[in-house]
Amino acid sequence: MTTAGKIVNNEIHLQSIHHQQTQPHQLHPPEHSDGEPETKKQEMPLDTSTYSLALLRLDGRRWNELRRIHAQINTQAAADGSSYLEMGNTKVLCTVTGPAEGRQAGQRGAKDNEAKVEVEIGFAGFSGLERRKRKSDKRTLEMQHTLSTAYSSLLLTHLYPHSTITLTLHILSQDGSMLAACINASTLALIDAGIPMSDYLVACTAASSATTSDSDNSDPLLDLNNLEEQELPFLTVGTLGRSDKVSVLICESRVRMERMESMLAVGIDGCKRMREILDGVVKEYGKRFS
Amino acid sequence: MDHFSLKRSNAPDRGNSNLSSKVYVRSTKSGKVQKIVRELYLRQDIPCSSNLCRACLDIAPKDYTNKTASFVLSDTPAGSKNFPNGQYLVPDTNAFLTGMDLFEVETAFHDVIVLQTVLEEVKNRSLPLYHRLVALTKNEGKRFYVFFNEFRQETYISRGTGETINDRNDRAVRQAVQWYNTHIKEAIKARSKKQMRIPSVVMITDDRDNLRKAKAESIPAIKLSDFVSGLENADELLDMISAAQDQREVRSKQTEVFYPEHYSISKMMTGVKAGTMHQGIFNVSPYNYLEGSVHVPTFDKSLLVLGRENGNRAVSGDVVVVEVLPTDQWKAPSTKIIEEETLNKNDNAEIEDGETITSERERKALQEEVKRAHGQSSEGKPQPTARVVGIVKRNWRQYVGHIDQGSVRSTSKSSRQQQMVFLVPMDKRVPKIRIRTRQAGELLGQRVLATIDSWERNSRYPMGHFVRSLGELESKGAETEALLLEWDVQYKPFPKTVLDCLPAEGHDWKVPASTDDPGWKGRRDLRDLLVCSIDPPGCVDIDDALHARQLPNGNFEVGVHIADVSHFVKPNNAMDKEASQRGTTVYLVDKRIDMLPMLLGTDLCSLKPYVERYAFSVLWEVTPDADIVSAHFTKSVIRSREAFSYEQAQIRIDDDSHQDELTNGMRTLLMLSKKLKQKRYDAGALNLASPEVKVQTESETSDPVDVQTKKLLDTNSLVEEFMLLANISVAAKNYEAFPQTALLRRHAAPPKTNFEELSNQLKVKKGLELRSDSSKAVADSLDQCTDANEPFFNTLVRIMATRCMMSAEYFCAGTQAYPEFRHYGLASEIYTHFTSPIRRYADLEAHRQLAAAIDYEPLDASLQSKSKLEGVCKNINVRHRNAQMAGRASIEYYVGQALKGKDINEDGFVMKIFSNGFVVFVPRFGIESLIRLRDLAAPEPEAEFDAENYVLKIKGDVQRNIELFEKVTVRITDEVEESTGKRKVKLTLV
Ligand SMILES: [Zn+2]
Repeated sequence: MTTAGKIVNNEIHLQSIHHQQTQPHQLHPPEHSDGEPETKKQEMPLDTSTYSLALLRLDGRRWNELRRIHAQINTQAAADGSSYLEMGNTKVLCTVTGPAEGRQAGQRGAKDNEAKVEVEIGFAGFSGLERRKRKSDKRTLEMQHTLSTAYSSLLLTHLYPHSTITLTLHILSQDGSMLAACINASTLALIDAGIPMSDYLVACTAASSATTSDSDNSDPLLDLNNLEEQELPFLTVGTLGRSDKVSVLICESRVRMERMESMLAVGIDGCKRMREILDGVVKEYGKRFS
Repeated sequence: MDHFSLKRSNAPDRGNSNLSSKVYVRSTKSGKVQKIVRELYLRQDIPCSSNLCRACLDIAPKDYTNKTASFVLSDTPAGSKNFPNGQYLVPDTNAFLTGMDLFEVETAFHDVIVLQTVLEEVKNRSLPLYHRLVALTKNEGKRFYVFFNEFRQETYISRGTGETINDRNDRAVRQAVQWYNTHIKEAIKARSKKQMRIPSVVMITDDRDNLRKAKAESIPAIKLSDFVSGLENADELLDMISAAQDQREVRSKQTEVFYPEHYSISKMMTGVKAGTMHQGIFNVSPYNYLEGSVHVPTFDKSLLVLGRENGNRAVSGDVVVVEVLPTDQWKAPSTKIIEEETLNKNDNAEIEDGETITSERERKALQEEVKRAHGQSSEGKPQPTARVVGIVKRNWRQYVGHIDQGSVRSTSKSSRQQQMVFLVPMDKRVPKIRIRTRQAGELLGQRVLATIDSWERNSRYPMGHFVRSLGELESKGAETEALLLEWDVQYKPFPKTVLDCLPAEGHDWKVPASTDDPGWKGRRDLRDLLVCSIDPPGCVDIDDALHARQLPNGNFEVGVHIADVSHFVKPNNAMDKEASQRGTTVYLVDKRIDMLPMLLGTDLCSLKPYVERYAFSVLWEVTPDADIVSAHFTKSVIRSREAFSYEQAQIRIDDDSHQDELTNGMRTLLMLSKKLKQKRYDAGALNLASPEVKVQTESETSDPVDVQTKKLLDTNSLVEEFMLLANISVAAKNYEAFPQTALLRRHAAPPKTNFEELSNQLKVKKGLELRSDSSKAVADSLDQCTDANEPFFNTLVRIMATRCMMSAEYFCAGTQAYPEFRHYGLASEIYTHFTSPIRRYADLEAHRQLAAAIDYEPLDASLQSKSKLEGVCKNINVRHRNAQMAGRASIEYYVGQALKGKDINEDGFVMKIFSNGFVVFVPRFGIESLIRLRDLAAPEPEAEFDAENYVLKIKGDVQRNIELFEKVTVRITDEVEESTGKRKVKLTLV
């Protein structure tokens, strides 16, 4: 038996409050959750828990579908290499500078006999969603680090001693799978710049759908949008070339071990399809200039 | 950005016809409005899910394991008067909002298509209703199918310019209904050439405009009430439609307004932010329905809300925003008992005209209050008083009550005339509810379940609707169900999905004989230990067993062995979910509502004697002075040698002729427990009395034959001490292993102000001092609160002190700082519940955490998430409290039944004094009852209330002073209340 309330025209949250029936002699002050303040809800869509109702995700996709991918190469003639990539509403612009001779004094971390890969990520003011000040900085730093590490081992850096390759990523719009989009855009821009690399790096995200109260079944979901990332445990996986060799694997959420396998499988499969799409973009560009 | 233009990405080639976007607006806490653009992928492979359709079988989606969900809608749906060929129903949002109770009826409303548009709107309007709707879609027998019309290309529509969201959504519903009708027709045509009956897909809406448009577009549509009229049992079903919709229609006619308008949400938000308004939960006094209080974060003491107008349609439990009144309007809390039932007996449910918000009598009562408050203002007694300016969140639930006889116009059982009646809720804090019904005659004298739908400014009382009857008033069945409903106890039998989780062997399950069996992995074989259990007589769910033996070094090994429930209940399966919902087993006088299925609770988990059972053991090395040397935790197998009742164990311990090892073990336990208890008291643990009453029932009829207060033996406290010790040890271990997520139990120190009144009462009446600066001080001063002539006085004070305490609560370690973990009552710095996993969910969770802490098995993800655990804690805190209240209510009912037709004189003690009555506690029956002045003589005698000295000086023939703490003799009889036909225990002074 539920004891549900009814007609809730003015059901809003001014503060998050734990409801409890208070006894007259046991007055508790309302408790505040120490998490993020609940935002006032108006016209919000359903959440990820509805997936199990009809195997449809919040934007109408099935579990194994990528969003619409649009990509371009050589978007800025003045740069050494450039690309533009959209995965759904996540939009990234990437430029490559270098390899440029010389380094600033005091730089550490790279061996002298190979090129250093520097990554800068910037956000457009209109890129959307709440930009959490401190947090975003930390997350950005981590993404920069991930990209720089991945490409340092991938690019044939020993061909360019004492030099620097700079990847500049500009996020125009965020809607999930940020790191994956940055990787894909970087790969395209580096191809455009003609910097030799051992293989393509492409990336995708994968999550595990929400379980419901009466079933523990969960499907792996491919290519997450922002809302899904906020509600579900997910990972970013990057693979090399035609192989299934995983080169990047980032998972910041807690995932049950038994879910990991299917998430990885669907992520790797997504990378394959992503590679085909990017391949198409590169070939199309090549055709135009051959 | 050189030559690159962003226009490129908006070029037509990306504007696939199967891609759309939807814009949501949300505002953040800082008040900024954000636009969120979301992609929508439109597709053609969303099946209709009708078993009539073959085409959709090919496009049905497969999940990761390549499974396809079976189709939901019947190929032979039921028909009705208007749709003889059968129908699939497509209700719009309002149909669900006003008729959810109807849709939940098992015998009607099958084959329903829930559109995504509707589901989304329901969710935005009411979360509880949304959850009920989702539950319906999972109920296989009901055949509710969620059709994601916003994702299917043919049913997706975009919003026209100038079109409101509501109009657009109505159009989306019509579009989906039209598509469905065409689709089903084609499906049937494709299936056979023969003529088959073609069911209609029918939109259900009460919106006139929508109906008109549907008619113009030849879309089958019908009003909810018209559809119901065409069904059997139409009368009963019609009552279940929310009254809100009827009201909407008559609203225009009524102009009278009883209540001030609620402030707008933004005005309240601004006010709360600026600190000029305050938010909190509205609580109504159980003694005075016109007195509410709201505890707000800003102040230590609650704000008073006096009178109906200031309450402004808030119902006890609602989250409200209040505004403090000017100081000249502040008042002292009432010293008067005011009950709605007696005050507004004559209000008419049908007519509201000409009456103001406060009835004449109410107004008089209020004026007296004001006068009294003013008279005392010199002492600075008036308290900050506030009025409700708006409601943030309704916390309405279903209410059990009875129909007020006086409000029924036609009491004839055969009358089918619709009339407005009052439902008087059992919960005295809830106002009468106006209900429109065709069954008034039949409902009289019944326990009735109803809900509140709305409370408009022009209605003195809230409007609601009838849900169902529980049976005759006073009948055991109805009263038991009533109290279960009132305290939200899930009492339906366990569903099949839960029972499927039980071991297949059933009662034949045994501990595997071979210790090589996986079940033995990581378990210690403790079958040689002389373990026994000590419980109340007749206990079948034995959670705990104990043993003690001397070690060679002169110390003792003591073991507490707890039923290994987590072995049988795995996280997240259906049984676990059900148990987590129920939270606790509820004990009523003649009934137990189990948290876990019987097979586990009373057999496989239960540590029954003479059989081997899995257990989770805590083993300590303890010195003869009861100092703990070490604690060790292990999963184990035990074999209990005996199941004692407290009394049997006591007799055996006291009888020196028993010199066997088992009895000597119990003597050791008893000796150690006394020392442990002393240590606890030395540390400041409180010994708080609560009157525990035992109702003896004849097993055959379970009619009560006698009521006794429970006797406590040394063996009660033996078991208690070791359970406390186990809980404390486990709490420390789990916290060490999981500093963020350990599930613990805390008991906050009560704020000083809680003891102010009691401490003043003791000082004034008895010259005693109650110190409250620490639990130790409270414990010590309570020991001093004695009256040489009245041994019960100390217990009375302890009962009253208990009510000044906070309630203990479960929490997740990461949500509090370590000093806040403290359990005030037990004077322990950390505590949890571990010892009753059969009947408390918290204990089961603690078992899982402990099992992971000792590396017995990995920890489930649900126990690693702080937010999930917080949810669990929140629920079990409520369930725990509700279970206690339900248990108490059950005892009250049985005590009432036992006293039926009796006329006895009994000793009582005055606990509380009002200006027009007082509360007497009768220890023998554990009952607490009001005696009003008007119960003492007719006409009601005059009285003078000396609030400072807690004396009520009754004048006239009675001529008597009633003082606080006074021992009085009361006469207990029962009488039938005229208005309700209900029997009530009545107390009068002798
Ligand atoms: Zn179909």
